[in-house]
Amino acid sequence: MEDKINSGEGENPQNEVSRVEMRLPEEFVRFSPLQRVEHLLVMIFFIVLVITGLPQGFFETSWAAWIIMSLGGIDMTRFIHRVFGILFAALAIWHLGRVTLLVLLRKARPSMIPTFKDFSDATGTLKYYLGLSEEHPKFDRYDYRQKFEYWGLMIGGIIMIVTGFILYFPVFFTELLPGVIIPVAKAVHGYEALLAFLVIIIWHMYGAHFNPDVFPFDSSIFTGKISRERMEKEHHLEYARLIRSLAKDGEDKKSTGEEKSNYV
Amino acid sequence: MQRGEKKRIRAEYEMSSIRGSKDASAILFTLWQSATGIIIALILPFVALAEPQTNFSEGVEFCLGCHSDSSLSIVLPSKEKMPLYINPEEFAASIHGDKLGCTDCHSDISDYPHPVKELKNRRSYSLAFYEGCKRCHFANYTKTLESIHYSLLSKGNPRVPVCVDCHGAHNVTRPDKPRTRVSQTCKKCHLGVYETYSASVHGRALIEEDNPDVPVCTSCHHAHNIEDPRTRTFLLKTPELCGKCHANERLMQKYGLSTKVLETYLKDFHGVSVTFYKSQREDITSWKAVCTDCHGVHNITKVSDPNSPVLKANVVHTCRKCHPDATTNFPGAWLSHYEPNPKKAPLVYYVKVFYKIFIPFTIGGLGLHILLHIWRVATNR
Repeated sequence: MEDKINSGEGENPQNEVSRVEMRLPEEFVRFSPLQRVEHLLVMIFFIVLVITGLPQGFFETSWAAWIIMSLGGIDMTRFIHRVFGILFAALAIWHLGRVTLLVLLRKARPSMIPTFKDFSDATGTLKYYLGLSEEHPKFDRYDYRQKFEYWGLMIGGIIMIVTGFILYFPVFFTELLPGVIIPVAKAVHGYEALLAFLVIIIWHMYGAHFNPDVFPFDSSIFTGKISRERMEKEHHLEYARLIRSLAKDGEDKKSTGEEKSNYV
Repeated sequence: MQRGEKKRIRAEYEMSSIRGSKDASAILFTLWQSATGIIIALILPFVALAEPQTNFSEGVEFCLGCHSDSSLSIVLPSKEKMPLYINPEEFAASIHGDKLGCTDCHSDISDYPHPVKELKNRRSYSLAFYEGCKRCHFANYTKTLESIHYSLLSKGNPRVPVCVDCHGAHNVTRPDKPRTRVSQTCKKCHLGVYETYSASVHGRALIEEDNPDVPVCTSCHHAHNIEDPRTRTFLLKTPELCGKCHANERLMQKYGLSTKVLETYLKDFHGVSVTFYKSQREDITSWKAVCTDCHGVHNITKVSDPNSPVLKANVVHTCRKCHPDATTNFPGAWLSHYEPNPKKAPLVYYVKVFYKIFIPFTIGGLGLHILLHIWRVATNR
């Protein structure tokens, strides 16, 4: 049943597809330069925030003390952390503003919205891993794991930004709000940071590096390109849709994959 | 020793032109004027005595032959009258009474008539004895060299205390028996501090109840290596200083006080900062509150005292010392040395509980997902 849904919606363009496929490039453009820059920036900001933030949470350990002292002391560590916190917040506002505007102006189609299919994909994948199903679910532009990570970063990032600013300006925030928001913000900021750090270290590092499918390094987000094989295997629905649109557009059109960047 | 012999020595002493007479003081005064004004102990060999010197090392009794005369005194160039009387009972009762003889300390005196000392006033005499105690009390002597008192002395301030000012000279007894004696000793110069301290929770317990646990001056400031308490280095040591008692379970149990105060402080923003400042360079100018910034220094009260700076009604004013724009909501940010629990700060407590479940759940789930994937990849091969 899944196969039927995945391979073609209604019509059966098998012959056309094979003809189009012949002229498909070996690589597709998956991420626009802007998206690549956004990833690069959030990566840098995240790393700096972890380096300056994690030791503040584990201040009692000797490695934390070593990092803080190496950075020039606790005041300097906090200063760097706050500067990059502001940069991180600015990037988050920029990104969310950009994608919201693109979606509202119908300039791009939203591809990160979680759907019911993501849940069935997740259970389907686990069934496949456990050997309960022979069929691996076929994914669209972003699979459920990528959506989980994206929304984890978005929601976690917003939590970190809000609690971070509460801790940055405690006097201002307690003008109207009760004082207890400060220790609450501190607890949330610390634990949420730990969660984010662990997700990145375990989940993202696996997905982008140690996953046997991409080992040692999935370079897509830096080069913006993805190979045809991976496209077909990992984002089959998007791939199939692309081929169909190419087939419709005529035989002489050669794809560069540039259409891809019209997703957010 | 014969009585006649003593009298003869005494007579000879009085006849000699060194001390007691106007002539002597005039000579000394002239000499002093020609000197640079700094203490000079100029020892002049005088008429040698026919008697064997053993008389002087023989013991206290011999010296007391003259010095137990309560009218014995000299006038110094400063016109100060310096008594030379030693109370025999007082000396006998002192801690040195059965241990030391006169010449153990007055080691420059081995002769009669005594060598001339060129001293402008009584203070000079005390200061000249600064080194006198180190022969036996070397450790404490070297400690004093690190003290603020010695530092001021070496800069030329003659008013700072030397050994005998706190311990006495011929009447040395245990300085902390009773304990109130310590604060009485410091009070001689630091009267204002003493008055503040004596009204504090510590001072009142000491004075009114003779409490053996409350700190006396030296508990915080030390006895011999007294640091300048206004320096950053000293102030940054405050938490460990207060923590010596306030983190001591056995001690605090007696008074129903929490020992969490130190730990909760050190885990807080202020405490973390101060811990790092201690190991950082001196030129850092920012400051975060230590115990005394909120609780006071010599005027520490019970936290339930109506005048306590940390009482709920007063605490916002204390916060404003550093956070001038703080509203009455602001002190709620501080959990008053409590660990968050369902009764005190339930929101903080339940947030922590939530994450303590949520983080292992999430990470465990993701980890399982990864392991299943690896397992599938391995079995597919």
